[in-house]
Amino acid sequence: MKNKRLKHKFLVFLAFLVVIIELFPIFVVISNGFKRDIDIFTSNPFSFKFSLQSYKSVLTDYMFLNSLKNSLIVALISSSFSVLAGAMASYAITRYKFRGKTAIAYSFLTSRMIPQISLSIPLYLMFRNLNMLDNVFSLVLAYISFNVPYIIWLLLPFFASIPREFEEAARVDGCSEKRLFWSIFIPLVAPGLVVAMVFSFIMSWNEFLYALILTNTQARTAPISVNAFMGQYAPQWGQLSAAGTLMLIPAFIITLSLQRFIIKGLTAGGVKG
Amino acid sequence: MLLSSKNKKKRGNFPLFFLAPALISVTAVLVFPIAYALGLSFFEWNLMNEANRVFIFFKNYVSVFNDPQFWKSFLLQIGFIFIAIPIELIIGFFVSILMNRKFKGAGVLRSLLLLPVFILPVLSGLTWSFMLQPEYGTINYILSLLGFKQIAWLAYPGTAYTAVILQDIWRMWPFMFIILYAGISGMPKEFEEAATIDGAGFWQRVFYIIIPYLKPTIITAILLRTIDALRIFSEVYVMTGGGPGNSTLLLSLYINKQAFEYFNIGYASAMSIILIVVTLILTIILVRGNIEIDGDKA
Repeated sequence: MKNKRLKHKFLVFLAFLVVIIELFPIFVVISNGFKRDIDIFTSNPFSFKFSLQSYKSVLTDYMFLNSLKNSLIVALISSSFSVLAGAMASYAITRYKFRGKTAIAYSFLTSRMIPQISLSIPLYLMFRNLNMLDNVFSLVLAYISFNVPYIIWLLLPFFASIPREFEEAARVDGCSEKRLFWSIFIPLVAPGLVVAMVFSFIMSWNEFLYALILTNTQARTAPISVNAFMGQYAPQWGQLSAAGTLMLIPAFIITLSLQRFIIKGLTAGGVKG
Repeated sequence: MLLSSKNKKKRGNFPLFFLAPALISVTAVLVFPIAYALGLSFFEWNLMNEANRVFIFFKNYVSVFNDPQFWKSFLLQIGFIFIAIPIELIIGFFVSILMNRKFKGAGVLRSLLLLPVFILPVLSGLTWSFMLQPEYGTINYILSLLGFKQIAWLAYPGTAYTAVILQDIWRMWPFMFIILYAGISGMPKEFEEAATIDGAGFWQRVFYIIIPYLKPTIITAILLRTIDALRIFSEVYVMTGGGPGNSTLLLSLYINKQAFEYFNIGYASAMSIILIVVTLILTIILVRGNIEIDGDKA
């Protein structure tokens, strides 16, 4: 018995150890943000003097602030539109019978899997022809290509789980199709919509490739700015880490507040609903 | 009866209204671009010299299959998948067993483990390249404490490739963990209890109970990660840019290089289409094993 308790204690200790080791790189980023540059260039990661210098320079850097603003705009608009369009489509797929339904659903699933690099060339040419390069709106559109299919698959099980009786009762009461969607289904799948919003926000927020190819200076997003702190000659690790830490805030929020939904969010379209 | 048939007729027309926004937007930014890329792939087309556009039909594909760098990138990609994903799976598997016990703070630990999954890939890549710097990098510091020599990881082909894989393992094993944990924590307790009473040891329980129970979950997780690993770009791009000496030039990076450094967009499009086809094959395997549209049941 004593042996067993000892073993349990050891395993709990091991669990903590795993988490500490795993989070070490994140500790490195966060602490680098609060270091002076000279301290970053000494190898011991634990000896440093606390400083807000990097945050000061990042938060007064026009280029970075502008890109942060762009990131917010792009992520918010793209994910809001995608949640709306995705919810409507998911509703149609789960609640209506129509021809080609399975085909449509599977095409949305496969389009979620298409590698971004394969779309980057045609998207670049399309937006160039429309004279929309370095334009925030073209990023909004480009991000729809991964957000909408993802959201449809994320929401399918949420819509499917609502019992038929709900809509039948509403129909008997003479509820119109559009009102049925807005006043009956939307409130019922609200948790799913929140997860969809948060996940598509964070996918857009983290996105790098399209931003790299489709933007230059005006519409540049924050991940590009973070990389730009690498500089041409010497990396500015302090500012890079401060900017990076600011970019991590949504990730912190999502992991600490949405635990329950994370699996659904991560595997949308991969696991039986 | 009358009511329901009337309803049916009406409902037959209706989905278009609900499907339209998704169908139109996805067609515009996804279906059309894929068709466009397919079209491009039949042309010799250089962005620097656009007047000289020549329709060459399948010749780009022939050149791709004769391009040693394409095969090298392909092998690097396969190697990446075959090294990184099994390691992620093994770590995720054992940690999910480890975390499947009750203790104070277990919930917080589990959610903290997920942070790397949601970190900016770019920031993850940059942080790893910081930690791997010679002289001031954290990992080199730890190595020197342990009495090893410092290594300029990103300067040599073999170590750079290792570094890129390490970065991916660090960021994605928690993904495996959380999916497998969901499976393990839902496993009926009787299974394990019965096995323990029968005197099964740890490894016996792993091989005869836990793995068979989790098999579908494991397969899904591997497929999702493989599809994901086929498109890896930004982490590697910021860590090594594909170097040194093309040693980390994975497929996405090679396509990007051909398209936006050499401006061979016809050629790059042919590779894009090949990548799409590989992805589709994997997706079909995933779909066939796993997926049903739930709404049909009702």
